[in-house]
Amino acid sequence: MSSTGNGRPSDLWANITVGLVTAPVAAGVAFMILYSIGVIGLLAGGFTLESWVQVLADVRTWVTLGFSIWVGGASLLTSLVLALGIHTILGAAPRRRALHGLWYAPLAVPPLVAALLSVEILGNAGVLARLGHALGWIGQPLDFPSPLYTRCGAGIVVTHVALVTPFLVLLFDRLARNERVEGLTEAARTLGASATQAWLRVRLPVLMRAATPALSVYFLALAGAFEVPLLVGAQYPPMISVAIQRRFSQFDIAMRPQAYALATLYAVLSAAILFLVFAARRRRERLERGA
Amino acid sequence: MMRRALSAALLGLGLLCLGVLALLSVTRRWPWPVLVPTELHADQWRELFASESGVGGVVLRSIGMASSVAILATAAGFVSSRGVARHPRREGLFLVLHLPFAVSPVVLGVSLSYFFLRLNLAGHIVGVVLAQFILAYAYAVILLSGFWNPQVQALSGLAVTLGADRTQVWLRVLLPVARPLLMLCLLQTFLISWFDYALTLFIGGGRVSTLTTALYQYFGSGDVRLAATCALLLLAPPLAAIALHQRLLSATVAARLEA
Repeated sequence: MSSTGNGRPSDLWANITVGLVTAPVAAGVAFMILYSIGVIGLLAGGFTLESWVQVLADVRTWVTLGFSIWVGGASLLTSLVLALGIHTILGAAPRRRALHGLWYAPLAVPPLVAALLSVEILGNAGVLARLGHALGWIGQPLDFPSPLYTRCGAGIVVTHVALVTPFLVLLFDRLARNERVEGLTEAARTLGASATQAWLRVRLPVLMRAATPALSVYFLALAGAFEVPLLVGAQYPPMISVAIQRRFSQFDIAMRPQAYALATLYAVLSAAILFLVFAARRRRERLERGA
Repeated sequence: MMRRALSAALLGLGLLCLGVLALLSVTRRWPWPVLVPTELHADQWRELFASESGVGGVVLRSIGMASSVAILATAAGFVSSRGVARHPRREGLFLVLHLPFAVSPVVLGVSLSYFFLRLNLAGHIVGVVLAQFILAYAYAVILLSGFWNPQVQALSGLAVTLGADRTQVWLRVLLPVARPLLMLCLLQTFLISWFDYALTLFIGGGRVSTLTTALYQYFGSGDVRLAATCALLLLAPPLAAIALHQRLLSATVAARLEA
């Protein structure tokens, strides 16, 4: 705090902040590492890398990680394309009062409720399947091509897209105002650019550059999602959070070191991605200041 | 024309979602392949609040937990955010503050469960509140750091010059100026706890029941009608906030985006 009067104004509260947030995360990761190498825990029998070898040699680990990255990437990319399209079509409309609440409504929907809605709308006996039957397109529930519980994770992606797209529309609306995108686009048009050129070479790069840090953190959140894949995901492959939960909750306690090894692996990977995102942003800001 | 069609489609989708939940919550029979329920009743709502282990208590518990998390995180976050915002290494501190979100609540819950067990906090409301506090506090500090700009610094400097002591600066200058942002922070941190499922599952260990765990239990047992009723209860506070305080929500999103 600036008025502590000890000449180190921000250190006390900064330390408290770091302590309150980092200490639990660091202690948790340290515990998981120690448990997974047999140093502590109910099954501790001395140092061993057995669970790590089992986790790293298990093809399911990499399928799970790859699947999580795929679902996170596909969800984000689809939402991004939709949000950019909607933002281009609607322009300033999300700011207008009549539409205002509509854009904020999905922010009030928890993932569990979104997943429940997916089941009731997109499921084999859901609203769309009933509509398809009424229109004579299908004869029985199994004829409906439901995206839920598929191995490609289509149901998870669709549910995530429904949750994320409105948020991205708001993000782009905000960034377009901050970065004065309309003015830049108009200047490009005045200088002879076509509408497509102005969109592709001015609007899109400016918005994407400004949105990249938020999108990177969003990708991590989507790749580590739990509730939606738990409700609408296939049994195999599971997303990483579901895989950790399954191994952790198994009756066979011998699986627990593997659960901790898998959780540590994911924690380290996501922390590394976060670090890279922050480092890239810092480098860019430094370059901009230098320029 | 295209704008209107798109807006109408989005509005229709939103109403369809709410309509499906509302219908399910009062459905007695909805056999395949009929489009609307053949019989309606209000038993789900009565059952939720009437049974011994009813959801009435769960709703109150969830509200209590979310309120505690919101108040604790906002109060601690407000004080801490000042130190973080003015720290020479604030970029590094922001990186640290993002860590709990990056590692996913499931990993956080799994990694903390042992410590909470040793501290006799596992399976207890206090344990779940403390675990949710970690996420909510990190979020509050990120959000409130934006408040400590040069204008606020100049304002508190002016108050000191005019003779205000430290307490007066906090109570008469900083708190009133920060009030709108603090309200936003309270709402957002309330929702972090209100929407949480993973931490409640791992730290609560099945002994702390909240609306999200109740929803999952009903869904898992195949009773989508009670699950839909829980879903409506979960949606009620944030949707009410949107309806009543659109400006507050608008500013919340703006603040979240800026954070």
